[in-house]
Amino acid sequence: MTRLRLALSLFLSVSPTVRLFGQDVDRLAVRFAGMTAVTGLERAMTDSLTALLPGSTRDRVGNVTLTLGQGEPKRLLSCPLDEVGYVVGNILPDGFLLLRRVGGARITYPLFDQQLEGHRVTVFGSRGAVPGVAAVKSTHLARGRGTSGSPDPVFTVDNAYVDVGASSAADVRGLGIAAMAPVSLAKHPHAYGDRLLAAPAAGRRAACAALAAAVQAKPKVRGTVVVAFTVQSLYTGDAGLASVKALLGPFAETKTASVAARYVDTAVETVALQDAEALVQGLVAWMEASP
Amino acid sequence: MKATTLALALLPVSVVPSLRGLAAQDPPAIRDAQQVLSRLVETYGVSGTEGPVRDQVKALLPTWAKAETDTAGNLWVRVGQGNPVVVFVAHLDEIGFRVTGIRDDGSLELETRGGFYPSLFEAQPALVHADKSDVPGVFIPRDSAFTRHTPPSLRVDVGTTSKEATMARGVSPGNTITMPKQYVRLAGTRATGRSFDDRVGSAAQLLALRRLNRTVLQHQVIFIWSVREEIGLDGAAVAARALGTTPRRVHAIDTFVSADSPLELSNFGVAPIGRGAVARALDNSSVTPRAYVDSLVRVARARGVALQVGTTNGGNDGSVFTPYGVVDVPIGWPLRYSHSPAEVIDLKDVVSLADMIRAVAETW
Repeated sequence: MTRLRLALSLFLSVSPTVRLFGQDVDRLAVRFAGMTAVTGLERAMTDSLTALLPGSTRDRVGNVTLTLGQGEPKRLLSCPLDEVGYVVGNILPDGFLLLRRVGGARITYPLFDQQLEGHRVTVFGSRGAVPGVAAVKSTHLARGRGTSGSPDPVFTVDNAYVDVGASSAADVRGLGIAAMAPVSLAKHPHAYGDRLLAAPAAGRRAACAALAAAVQAKPKVRGTVVVAFTVQSLYTGDAGLASVKALLGPFAETKTASVAARYVDTAVETVALQDAEALVQGLVAWMEASP
Repeated sequence: MKATTLALALLPVSVVPSLRGLAAQDPPAIRDAQQVLSRLVETYGVSGTEGPVRDQVKALLPTWAKAETDTAGNLWVRVGQGNPVVVFVAHLDEIGFRVTGIRDDGSLELETRGGFYPSLFEAQPALVHADKSDVPGVFIPRDSAFTRHTPPSLRVDVGTTSKEATMARGVSPGNTITMPKQYVRLAGTRATGRSFDDRVGSAAQLLALRRLNRTVLQHQVIFIWSVREEIGLDGAAVAARALGTTPRRVHAIDTFVSADSPLELSNFGVAPIGRGAVARALDNSSVTPRAYVDSLVRVARARGVALQVGTTNGGNDGSVFTPYGVVDVPIGWPLRYSHSPAEVIDLKDVVSLADMIRAVAETW
């Protein structure tokens, strides 16, 4: 062991204020990026958060909140946990599902819906997650049929037929799927490069992972900090955050956790996990600092 | 955390429960079909780099089978003796990309291998099949959205910012690229995955060989797992040249692209999934003489095997045997959403296809 490494390890072992957040936030970011929380239908993810963070509760709107410290000042630290997604809008007699998108007014990627086409999806039915695919025309059968130079319009959610392997509407109901069942692209968080993480909504999930890791670091909070993982940020005017402020405020100061991302709104939205690690340190410092 | 450690952290979310959860309730034939097929589907082999798939096929052969690999890379298993020689051929390769260059910013330039909609790979995870190991990356999304299926030339980002850094990861021109894939069970006996075309055919030949009654064979039967079908039937052409006029018939065991989908026209390609193998009577490369289609139907009826008859699009390996006077009688199975990352099959059709191959080998 070099002299520098020895000195560093000794320093870390005796200094309670210097913590290593890297592995914690990496694990949490991967875990959160694998979850689905269609805006307004975030219950499964909020269940996981309340289990992960002892003392946290779910409010009447669905936000997960946790109060740290006591006294003044009272501050709010939040992250939005929801994502643009889909729900089952109709079930056809031959067992195919039609979809409706939920959220999306702020989507920056013009091919957002097209990412469904020919890819795996997950339908969250009452009996559990059901794998399916969004239908796409067979390459072979399209050959020679298109008119040369004719436009090939962008796929929209109206073109999405979801195939779960069922042959009838009764088969679909037998799988626990009904109208309003949440639907998302199948989530497979994908690591590449040097600590890069790609997944749908990876930026939001990495920010929430950083917030959870900051809470798990047990910061010595000055005053009171309400930590909130908010729902419905992408629908009805950020209703989740507004309700936290209404129910638990007023707050002297508010801060929203965020991590920079590239390929935003795509299935490979990418974050650098070292940014998430730096965010954890920043959030802990914010909670511990005097305003 | 380094990439390797992060990859370990990814494992718990990557292994989705119940992907094969219904297997315990399956009849033995369905269970066997799934066991063979899933191994082949989860192995990568873009046209020209079929080695890993060929190795899987060899590993799944019955112990008595003696396999040979020819100069093209085709895998051969010969069973029985005498004329007329009958050939079955399924292809090992799958569609994908090949690296053609590395830009100064570290991103990879690509060319397609086989015919498909490149847009189905856009903004998706990527796997570069480098010489020493797979290197993960992402297919870079385009900036504009004017057309659905024809994006500008796709590139892959492996998380580097320079050509040197990309090469340091072991990536070089000529490497092939796909996206991560997984065999996933759907409702009933249906399943989804990528490269069912033609891993189903390859699996069916294996399943038929495993159950083949060699004592009743009245002539030699040759099973070939071919290479480079998707880029021009190249491997089959080598096999056809080697066999010349010797075989009487060839049965290409390949996809019947089905119109069994709400997105397709139903003027042809009609063969619903779950209703059995399909006599591929007409496609873009071959027309099976009517008498041979009728014979195939008789074999199926005699053995109680479900068989549909239909017309579809696409070419098949058997077509390169016909110039040598060998009759091509292709047999397929219905597939939804061909050459997409989400192809859908019914395992009952895989069983039916294997039964059909066995019946033809033993009785025709």
